[in-house]
Amino acid sequence: MKTEEGQVSDGYAVDVNGVEKRFGDIKALDGVTLRVREGEIYGLLGPNGAGKTTLIRTIVGLIAPDAGSVTVLGRKLPNLDVLRNVGYMTQQAALYPGLSVAENLRFFAAINGVDGDIDDVLHFVRLDNRKNSVVSNLSGGMRQRCSLACALVHKPKLLLLDEPTVGVDPQLRVQFWEDFRRMADGGTTIIVSSHVMDEAERCQRLGMIQYGRLLAEGSPSEVRSSAGTQDLEAAFLALAGREVES
Amino acid sequence: MSPHRVRAITVRLLQGFRRDRRTVALLFVAPLIILGLLGYLIRNTQVPDVGLANQDQGPVGAAVATALEKSSHLHATAINASDGDAKLKDGSLAAYIVFPSDFSQKALGGVIAPEVHLEGSQPGQTGAVLQALQQAVAAASVGRPAGGGVVQPKVTYLYGGPHLDTLDFFGAAAIGMIVFFLVFVITIVSFLNERSQGTLERLMASPLRRGEIVLGYMIGFTVLALVQSVEVLVFCLYVLKVHNAGNVLLIFGLEALMAIVAVNLGIFLSMFARTEFQAVQFIPLAIVPQFLLSGILFPVSSEPQALQYVSDVLPLTYAVNALRDVMLKGADLTWSSLQLDVGVIVAFIVLLIVAGTATLRRRIA
Repeated sequence: MKTEEGQVSDGYAVDVNGVEKRFGDIKALDGVTLRVREGEIYGLLGPNGAGKTTLIRTIVGLIAPDAGSVTVLGRKLPNLDVLRNVGYMTQQAALYPGLSVAENLRFFAAINGVDGDIDDVLHFVRLDNRKNSVVSNLSGGMRQRCSLACALVHKPKLLLLDEPTVGVDPQLRVQFWEDFRRMADGGTTIIVSSHVMDEAERCQRLGMIQYGRLLAEGSPSEVRSSAGTQDLEAAFLALAGREVES
Repeated sequence: MSPHRVRAITVRLLQGFRRDRRTVALLFVAPLIILGLLGYLIRNTQVPDVGLANQDQGPVGAAVATALEKSSHLHATAINASDGDAKLKDGSLAAYIVFPSDFSQKALGGVIAPEVHLEGSQPGQTGAVLQALQQAVAAASVGRPAGGGVVQPKVTYLYGGPHLDTLDFFGAAAIGMIVFFLVFVITIVSFLNERSQGTLERLMASPLRRGEIVLGYMIGFTVLALVQSVEVLVFCLYVLKVHNAGNVLLIFGLEALMAIVAVNLGIFLSMFARTEFQAVQFIPLAIVPQFLLSGILFPVSSEPQALQYVSDVLPLTYAVNALRDVMLKGADLTWSSLQLDVGVIVAFIVLLIVAGTATLRRRIA
């Protein structure tokens, strides 16, 4: 349902409307319109440099669009208070290397206005036994899990994950997707970017991006059938090719 | 040892610099700035202003006074002896010399005894005045039968005294400088870490307000700086036994203000660096001119006029002046000069907080 500015958009956690963003000569976002339903896992697919990170940073208010509007959890951006309900996991594991896992978690909880229980989230990412380890001593996978925990610690309603599985081993990748599934079942809306097509099958809906434009949107099967292909990788290549020809 | 592999490293290094224009600029521009500044400063140093009061009934006082007026080591003007102390206090004179009424008479007896009244808080100027006096006496004695007497000036100090050594003069300035520079470096590097490790991005994507980030940083580093200040102060006063005529708590308060300036200057400047490498380059550019121009080595009043304008906009100038006022002159907060210094430093703090907060948003995207 289409809504007026600033009003609650029924059933949509994120409403991106005609967003454009230029960096110098490069059009990073070229009229992107998409809606993400509450409680769904929405996959942003596209090659490196397609505009996935720019779009995610626009949704968390780090980038002000040149044109168009972004509405998050019923509030039109820019809005600082809505960020209380948003979790954001950056591409690199953005943590304080000199602090312990627990200290990092408590810090990110505090700046989001939440105090107290970090044990739940530690258990959720299976870092219970590394609670007091200093981050610089953790392995890459553990850091990635700690980074995820820091994005979750304030129990956000909307979670934005920028390529969370890059550099993560297959075992942990499976665990991560199980985690995302559990969170979505608990009512959290998740937007996750990836350039790995097999991960896309696990999303309820997908948006395919290239050159800052949304090529196709829909469930994995809808995307496949609209491209007339058997798998998403072929679908993406077909859609991207069509775009280049037109 | 393979020349090929060595060459690969050398070429790789130079290729990197080719794209890092900022580093190349610093490498070739910074030496010119620093040496140019130093050269201009030293070659164009203005000589101290000295008042002359000739009460001598004989001819020798006038002869020495004339020689002093010709001296290139000081700028002499005739004054009334009774105005001298006031002029030392308001800073318009570095010293005044009185030739008493019996000056010629004593000079004929072989004792040349002018009264030298020194302001005393500027180390370089005291020596310059006494040296110029010696030369003037020598010049005035040339060809005179009574020449060649012993020069025994009666020296009095408005502040400090002959017991003060170089450390006493520089200690006051050094206390402010050490805290300022170290806190500045720590802030600029750790704020940059925040940026490079990606945590700043996370902070900006949280409900944190920019002012809260700047204020949080400021309080954190200030706490650290205050502990450091206590250590510096205790070491200077009780181990090095640097002269202090003023209130220790006042010195500590001034150091705290300097720490706050340094934190905010660090945050502000780190906005203009993308990497730690670039941030490190800011350090000499921010530190060397302040070191040269804040009155630590050369009194601001002796700088060429153009550089005095620069000194006037450096926060460290006011801190050094305030610390010298307190430690050498025993100033307290009832002194208008100290009130002015503190006021200016507080104004710098407000300005830097506003500027740092404003640039925080611009540089995050």
